Amino acid sequence: MADPAAIAIRNLTKIFPVPFRKEKVTAVEDLSLEVQPGQIYGLLGPNGSGKSTTMKVVLGLVSPTSGSTEIFGRSSLHVESREAVGFLPENPYFYKFLTGSETLHFFGRLCGLSGPRLAARSRELLALVGLETAANRRVGSYSKGMLQRIGLAQALIQDPRLLVLDEPTAGVDPAGSREIRDLLLQFKQRGITVLLCSHLLGQVQEVCDRIGILHQGRLVSEGPLESLVSVEDQTECLLRNASPELLRSIQAQAAAAGAEVIQIRKPQTTLERHFLKVTHGVSRDASTQPSPQHADVHAP
Amino acid sequence: MPTSTPLDPSVPVRHRWFSPARLLAIASNTLLELVRQKVFYFLLLFALLSIGSSLLVVQFTFQQQFQVLKDVSLGAMSIFSWLLAVLATAQLLPRDLEDRTLYTILAKPVPRFEYLLGKLGGVLLLLALSLALMSALFAGVLAWREQTQLALIQAATPPEDLEAAVQALRASTFTPSLGLAILTIFLRAAICASLTLLISSFATSSIFTVIVSVIAYIIGHIQPVARDYWLHSLPAGQGVSPLVQVFLGFVALFFPDFQLFNLVDEAAAGNTIPFPLFAQTSALGLGYAMVYTFLAYLFFSQKEL
Repeated sequence: MADPAAIAIRNLTKIFPVPFRKEKVTAVEDLSLEVQPGQIYGLLGPNGSGKSTTMKVVLGLVSPTSGSTEIFGRSSLHVESREAVGFLPENPYFYKFLTGSETLHFFGRLCGLSGPRLAARSRELLALVGLETAANRRVGSYSKGMLQRIGLAQALIQDPRLLVLDEPTAGVDPAGSREIRDLLLQFKQRGITVLLCSHLLGQVQEVCDRIGILHQGRLVSEGPLESLVSVEDQTECLLRNASPELLRSIQAQAAAAGAEVIQIRKPQTTLERHFLKVTHGVSRDASTQPSPQHADVHAP
Repeated sequence: MPTSTPLDPSVPVRHRWFSPARLLAIASNTLLELVRQKVFYFLLLFALLSIGSSLLVVQFTFQQQFQVLKDVSLGAMSIFSWLLAVLATAQLLPRDLEDRTLYTILAKPVPRFEYLLGKLGGVLLLLALSLALMSALFAGVLAWREQTQLALIQAATPPEDLEAAVQALRASTFTPSLGLAILTIFLRAAICASLTLLISSFATSSIFTVIVSVIAYIIGHIQPVARDYWLHSLPAGQGVSPLVQVFLGFVALFFPDFQLFNLVDEAAAGNTIPFPLFAQTSALGLGYAMVYTFLAYLFFSQKEL
């Protein structure tokens, strides 16, 4: 028997009544999608498109008007479905009176961890998100980026198989944002499924395998990232140390074969990469990215 | 950047529909939250009241002095524990909802009834701790005044009357009924906390919860008087309409008759509280607290977050 989907949403509709009025607001309408184990799934959409409602239904915080949601084959209506889930809400707030370390201990105890196992896990996660030095500071004094990091740590406390992340890099500086991106890729290598909601489309494109786009509560586009963003009638190839003669020759060969060279240009680095470079926050894989010396050839 | 290693799979974490450890985690966290809000500053006020009341009446007989001390101290315990119960409970749910900490907690494998019980448990721990500290302060002041009076009696009483005088003094200070009175104060505060929890499970703000809780407390106090007035003040031959009877029945059933908890006044007056009466009152109080908590769960389980 095949493994159940990490998340299965079937014909989900959620309608909210408006207090003291007859009309109702349809937040999500007949939504069906599946997230397979090990995938990083990007759920996109403008504000008010139904992303947060969908996540809340998946997590059992809101009940569906009709349809169903399951996590690894267990209905979201049952508490045990959340055993394997870590959740980071958008702009998370935690108990301001707790320190970072106490926060992780609290959430760990909610997940059944205790004693030396919890202490070790807490230390490990504080190191993972770079908050060891702030472990004994009250969360009330944390910056927005630090709150996001402690939020990520609490989501990981019980080593979940599924992570639901709502805007995980909101308020995080570029270096921290890159670190979270690296973490997501690391989770993927370990087989952890991630449902990612973000407005940073570039970041989503970097890490997600599959994308769903919601608009006004309906799924308007869904599929593997490559199939959604690739331009089918064009081919891109990057050359290093290409001489002007070689480029002319390629253009001639393309013309002879009936193809059209649309653009030959020096590829540009991203502003993020430049920022990380000058602030010494360059990530490990920067050297594998295209450099300004490369030639970028687009051909139909 | 460090890497995240999986937890040891040989130590499985299985879901249990009820976990005392989770409940304790929420209760102790709630207690910590309230303690770190520096709620115990009220103890200074209590100490001032207790010591002040014992010093202001030194010209009275020792029986009158102890009576005033007990009245003031037990009265202050009742008021402070009620205030703590209402104000502490009223802010818990709205604050968690507003700060969205509720999302992160309920996104973990935590049943909603455990969350509610944990929150209530934290308030009850706070009440127990507060009452224990106030009781210790009260006992300290009472013992101090007892020793002062003992020295005066020993100096002024003829030897043949000394034993009787000392016995009379001891009978005016520490009695078993004082302990039962303090337990009754805790019980009354626990009912108020669970009633406040019920109101906050459907209320949209802390201020609404506090106002309704105060009104409910007042209704609980005046309902026996009001009921008597309605039932017995009508002219002869004029019966109570069925509608009024239903209304009175509902009020009598839903709101506890707080006059039944006036055992505290008996203890303060130096009277003995019969244990069967205390047990009966406790059972009634526990019953109300449980029903209110269950109703709070019914509302909270349907709440869309």
